[in-house]
Amino acid sequence: MTLTESRPEAEAVAAGDDVRPATQSSAPQWTPPTGLARLLSTGDHLTIGQMYVVFSLVLSGLALTLGMLIGIEQADIDGGFGVFSNANEVFQVFGLYRTTLILCGLVPLFLGLATALIPRQLDASSVAFPRAAAAAFYTWLVGAVTHIVATFSYGGLGSVQAGAAREQSVELSVLSLGLIGVGLLVGSGVVFTTLVTQRPRGMDLLQMPAFSWSMLVATGVWLFSLPVLLANLVISWVDMRGANALGFGGGGAPFEQVAWAFDAPQVFAWTIPLLGITAEVFTAAHRSSPKMFEPIAFIVGAFGFFSFGAWAQSFFDSPDPNAVDAHIVTNEVLFTAFALAIALMVAAYGGWLAFNAYSAGQRPQITPQFALVVVSGALLTAAVVAGVLRVAEPALGVLREADDDIWRGFFDAMDDLEASSLVNGMMNLAVLGGLLAAVAGLFHWAPRLLGRPLNAPLGFLSVLPLAGGAILVGATDVLGGFFDQPRRPFETAGIGQIDALGFVEALNVIGLIGYIAVLGGLALVALNVARSLTLPASTEAHQGEGV
Amino acid sequence: MADIAVGTPLAAPLPRQRTLLVGTVFGTAATLMYFAALLAVYLRERADALSGGGEWIPSGANIQLAPPTVAAWTMLMSVVTMQWAVYSIARDDRTHAIMATALTTLFGLSVVVTTSFQYTEMGLVADESIAAVLIYAISGSHLVMIAIGLVFLLLMAFRALAGQYSSRQTDGFVAASIYWYAVVFVYVVIWTAIFVLK
Repeated sequence: MTLTESRPEAEAVAAGDDVRPATQSSAPQWTPPTGLARLLSTGDHLTIGQMYVVFSLVLSGLALTLGMLIGIEQADIDGGFGVFSNANEVFQVFGLYRTTLILCGLVPLFLGLATALIPRQLDASSVAFPRAAAAAFYTWLVGAVTHIVATFSYGGLGSVQAGAAREQSVELSVLSLGLIGVGLLVGSGVVFTTLVTQRPRGMDLLQMPAFSWSMLVATGVWLFSLPVLLANLVISWVDMRGANALGFGGGGAPFEQVAWAFDAPQVFAWTIPLLGITAEVFTAAHRSSPKMFEPIAFIVGAFGFFSFGAWAQSFFDSPDPNAVDAHIVTNEVLFTAFALAIALMVAAYGGWLAFNAYSAGQRPQITPQFALVVVSGALLTAAVVAGVLRVAEPALGVLREADDDIWRGFFDAMDDLEASSLVNGMMNLAVLGGLLAAVAGLFHWAPRLLGRPLNAPLGFLSVLPLAGGAILVGATDVLGGFFDQPRRPFETAGIGQIDALGFVEALNVIGLIGYIAVLGGLALVALNVARSLTLPASTEAHQGEGV
Repeated sequence: MADIAVGTPLAAPLPRQRTLLVGTVFGTAATLMYFAALLAVYLRERADALSGGGEWIPSGANIQLAPPTVAAWTMLMSVVTMQWAVYSIARDDRTHAIMATALTTLFGLSVVVTTSFQYTEMGLVADESIAAVLIYAISGSHLVMIAIGLVFLLLMAFRALAGQYSSRQTDGFVAASIYWYAVVFVYVVIWTAIFVLK
């Protein structure tokens, strides 16, 4: 007999049964928190990833605004200080631009995408340590906000003028940068552990999607880089504990200690996930899946290996030029070898993309994300070429000795590029390329990340300023380097060395327009995200969207 | 035999994703990299100071070898007790596992006390020499590393008390031991690079 109706309560009582329904209890029902309480207490990987993306986009915008301010200052190089009142303020903003753009913008943006998407790509329920992921996010956020506030309170990573910075604010800037590093390191650990342990049975590492693989390589390289950054900061901070800082915490030394993180080859290490995003978006646009995955896995791994740059810091060099191992770290041969190896990997990566496009046998579907990854790939290639030029001087010296007369102008232009704005251009090209790739990932995975696709026409509208602006920002700095524009705008002594000052100033105005364009593009992306969030959530992935 | 005859189902093996182990290895590798960077700067600065004919440790400082040597032997003894804890939990001997963990914790605490004592005796002032800055940065960081290790050990011991770890699930103890061995390894390197070489 099948029981189709519940027994009347009175009848049950008469039978002496316990009639309390299971759902009724004297204990208060737990209701999930909402609003701010939900965000503060969440362990949901998707929510944490979304918060990373939102805040890192906002902080990227702030970084680009700082870059714009430096651009305004450089539009009239020989006219004294305009936006800023002294060299130390330029130095503070110069340092803050780098720390904010890379450690508060690009890296957390990649980590946010990874935290939100990698469990989906691996068919896992969540990341490996959800509470650690939340703790990492809030550690990073508190560190980022504190770092920015401390720098604007006459802090920053040291001072190039005695008495121009407040000592306690400098200490706070150093400590908060350490906090950022700890947050990013823990976040990297969560992503790395998720990739190693949360794969479904039968999926080996080489069967992971390209983005997951690139994040495995990236977090592996960051694992070895971020602790070195922390060690540099701790040494600076301990030096500041005394009445007089001796060598690591005084003057501009705190910035010098961490400058390797914003220079070649380390700057390429922050962009490793660009390769994974590009591979996925590119092949999806060709309506195919990546073919020959093993070569791309090797290329991404080798790119990561050669981009590890914690060794390339001047504090590992001897101040005594006569010492046998005086330049063990800034050894030109080592730098040249690494730059060439990175260039080779990028060329091989381009070849792999071309092979996949050819294998697909059809024209790509032009989407905003496809346009963005094409431009970001071009920016990375340009950055790598700039990186090779930066270290080409010793090799060219051999040619110069053979015949100096024929290529005199060329040799003169190539002189001392490592101290010129070409290095800034290389960093901007690489980092903005990474930023564009991350935005492409945002478009590509929006249905997974936001629950809704982003608007394509508005997306195309944002591609133009993003791509054009990034090219202008990077290319003008690179070109300025050939005219001996100094690498560090706060070092006014180098202004007299600039060839064709008027032309360089014109380049800087164009670069300034580039900053404004990138900012405009980011604003359009933010508008697109806000617009999509007002639409009802979609349960279907849009065409071409990867998982 | 009787159990098998009546068909008592054998317990299914626990899922062993080794998440905690992999996470701990990641954290330990990051910590080792951190100390590698600190020691690289230390040795570089020391080599420069000595090659220039100057002194490295200020003449007024009193860095004795005895306290750090005692600390180094204490750390090495803690390797034995740590492994004893792992061995015991793998054999469901929870009492010995907790006792060994307590001993390891005690060894760790004694190293903290020894290092603190040495700080009071050294006479090194942070703003008088680069050597002092670096020695405090390195040894202070190691104290923090020990503190993290002690918290890790105590957490695992409490979890073992609650029955979370047994021969079927030893990941927590193995993870704590990996971190602890790194603590010991770093101390031995510090002992050699700073206190023996001076």
